[in-house]
Amino acid sequence: MQKRSSIFALIMVLALVLPSLTTLAQGGDQVTLRVIGLEVVPDERETPLAIAKQAVITRFTEAHPDVTIESLEAPPEFDTQLLVDLAAGTAPDVWYQDASTLARLVDTGNVVDMRVCLDLVPELTLDRFSPGFLSLHQRDTGEVWGLPDGGTPMVIYYNPESFERAGVEPPTSDWTWDEFLTVAQELTLDDQGRNRLDPDFDEEHVVQWGYRDRKYTFEWIYWVWQNGGDVISPDGSTVDGYLNSPEAVEAITFLRDLVLKYGVAPEPSTLDQISQEFGFLSTFLRGEVAMFPRGHWEMVGLTINPDYTPGRVAVVGNPSKVEDATVIYESGWVINALVQQDPAKLLAACQLVEELTSTAYQDTKVVTGLETSANAESAAAAVEASAWPEIEAVFTAESDDGRAPYGARFANWPIVESALDGMMENILAGGDVDEEIANAVEEIGRELARASSSQ
Amino acid sequence: MQSTPLLERHLFTSGPRWWQRFWGRSNERVGYLFILPSLLHLVVFLLIPLLFSFYLSFTDWRGTNFYSAPFIGTANYEFMIGDRRWWNAMGNSAYYTLLAVPLGMIISLAIALVMNQALRGVNIFRTLFFMPVISSWVAVSVIWITLLDPRAGILNYVLQLFGLPGVNWLGDPATAMPSLVLITIWKGAGFQMVIWLAGLQAIPNELKEAAAIDGANAWHSFWRITLPLLKPTTFFLLITGIIGSLQVFSSVYVITGGGPRGATDVAVHRIYLRAFESFDMGYASALAWILFAVIFVFTLIQVVYMRTREESLF
Repeated sequence: MQKRSSIFALIMVLALVLPSLTTLAQGGDQVTLRVIGLEVVPDERETPLAIAKQAVITRFTEAHPDVTIESLEAPPEFDTQLLVDLAAGTAPDVWYQDASTLARLVDTGNVVDMRVCLDLVPELTLDRFSPGFLSLHQRDTGEVWGLPDGGTPMVIYYNPESFERAGVEPPTSDWTWDEFLTVAQELTLDDQGRNRLDPDFDEEHVVQWGYRDRKYTFEWIYWVWQNGGDVISPDGSTVDGYLNSPEAVEAITFLRDLVLKYGVAPEPSTLDQISQEFGFLSTFLRGEVAMFPRGHWEMVGLTINPDYTPGRVAVVGNPSKVEDATVIYESGWVINALVQQDPAKLLAACQLVEELTSTAYQDTKVVTGLETSANAESAAAAVEASAWPEIEAVFTAESDDGRAPYGARFANWPIVESALDGMMENILAGGDVDEEIANAVEEIGRELARASSSQ
Repeated sequence: MQSTPLLERHLFTSGPRWWQRFWGRSNERVGYLFILPSLLHLVVFLLIPLLFSFYLSFTDWRGTNFYSAPFIGTANYEFMIGDRRWWNAMGNSAYYTLLAVPLGMIISLAIALVMNQALRGVNIFRTLFFMPVISSWVAVSVIWITLLDPRAGILNYVLQLFGLPGVNWLGDPATAMPSLVLITIWKGAGFQMVIWLAGLQAIPNELKEAAAIDGANAWHSFWRITLPLLKPTTFFLLITGIIGSLQVFSSVYVITGGGPRGATDVAVHRIYLRAFESFDMGYASALAWILFAVIFVFTLIQVVYMRTREESLF
């Protein structure tokens, strides 16, 4: 019995010691980094993006033989899965994080202040980033939560063939709301080719709409900014006095009027009807809707659409009223706060982020058309190398007017955004603007009061 | 002579005294061992999460750093009282239940009455009616989205054949919920049909034959004999139907996402949105417990009814 126990104890000791011996044999401090953001979906295995991602892993591990990259696929419902993993202590060491949900992770202390990396890796400097993108990660108090990879300002896509059909000159980025409205009216055609400004226009047989106007806050919040207003206070504590301010009400009314007064954008149910059969992008490319707001990522979907031809896609900056403004949607690299417990791993993670934000990687990635690089040098090179340089130039220029999405600053933004979506849905369906805004102010007020009382 | 099984001898007559005492007291000690895996499964994957979610409903846990989640007492439940979206969702769940349960029961009973006849190929028809039950909700939803498409869908095509205007089935708040109910009935009718069939086949033929001799026609026979004797089946389908309807989620999530304008935003969908879009886990847990309480009432009614019935039989 005693002999058996001794053998068992010996096996247990060996089981504990052997892995450590193996590590030593491999050269001592071998570090494994678990990374999400360097895998692509199976359909994209042979694409330039996949090749760029594989190349950066190879390049990095060759330059840092003591580091192993365990590249993980981003799970479906990534934000939810990440929460579960963070709660369980099994989240990746480095991951690709959408800035519009970053605030939640910052407020709960789950990511590293990247100033640590700036000290550890001298090659990593903040001047490589476009200021607009970098500002999404910076706080007034100096912290840098993650570093930007790439993103996009919201711009207006338009179909030049639709403009040609309506006999309208394509707009330029210095246009105003009034000019935008006139263009949208001229673009909205009935089956006899008459536009909205024609007194004989046939409401029942619209074949081309001027604009797509939807409930989603991410597609309309910057219209409020353009009018000099806002929907929430600078500290994110209230919407009262902001969402119901004259500037915000005027902007929301204007968006409502595009649908219900001027009839240049289809009502939500009509939009469903015209876009359900082939998808909205086909609807746009076929000329049924002439303009819509979207980011750079839509270029990917548009260029692979069967109805795509280069002459059917162009972009222009947003019109302005009081000021130029748009929102930037961006993703960047963040490091798990737990990594700080292991200095060797922290150094490796910082070195990896340096590599991922360098021109060496960014130059190979921007050709995919998914976004504008946050690396200023790569973004400039992309404009020259792009298959559609005019489009890239508009995105780069609009980035200068870009503001951070509120999800990057306020942890409670998802709740506010959900209420704003509901408010706009009711307004676009004919709800009274003042009443719907008042309801939203009350609802969001309750939510924010509850959130602040428990913090 | 009864010999002590080998397993018992080794397991229960050795080891610490408390162990021996425990097993010595039990007449069904081996039984406990057999149910142990299921019991563990139940405790780990049901009981602990259940209690955990109950605790969560008194916290403001936003999905990360559970240990720093503040305990806020009944604040989540108090907040729920003034939450318009929640009450809209509960109202929608009630509307869905009021439409789907009686309509589904009537339609499936009609199918069962036909399938209870000695028809040629009746088993094939029964199988066909049951097929939607075993189909995936997601696949079914995608098919129905296509059928209900306002421009390319077959339903509007049929309407147009009769000169009627097309309907935006899923895009209009007035028709979205009835459309969901239609899909639910189509998918669930096969299951209810099987239960009705079991009830119908348990009714002795002699009763109907006697009624026929006394001059009752088929209609009288149905109202005076079949339907009263189907009372337990009716009650079972009614209660399980209500419980299932209050729990509806997949079809709403895939087909309408709760829209248009919140017209199909039902209770479970609202809980999902609070938990996994707003990451408001504490509040979502409170909502889940309120829904649980409502469902529990219906479950209790069923249990009490079944017990009363059993007692009246014996």
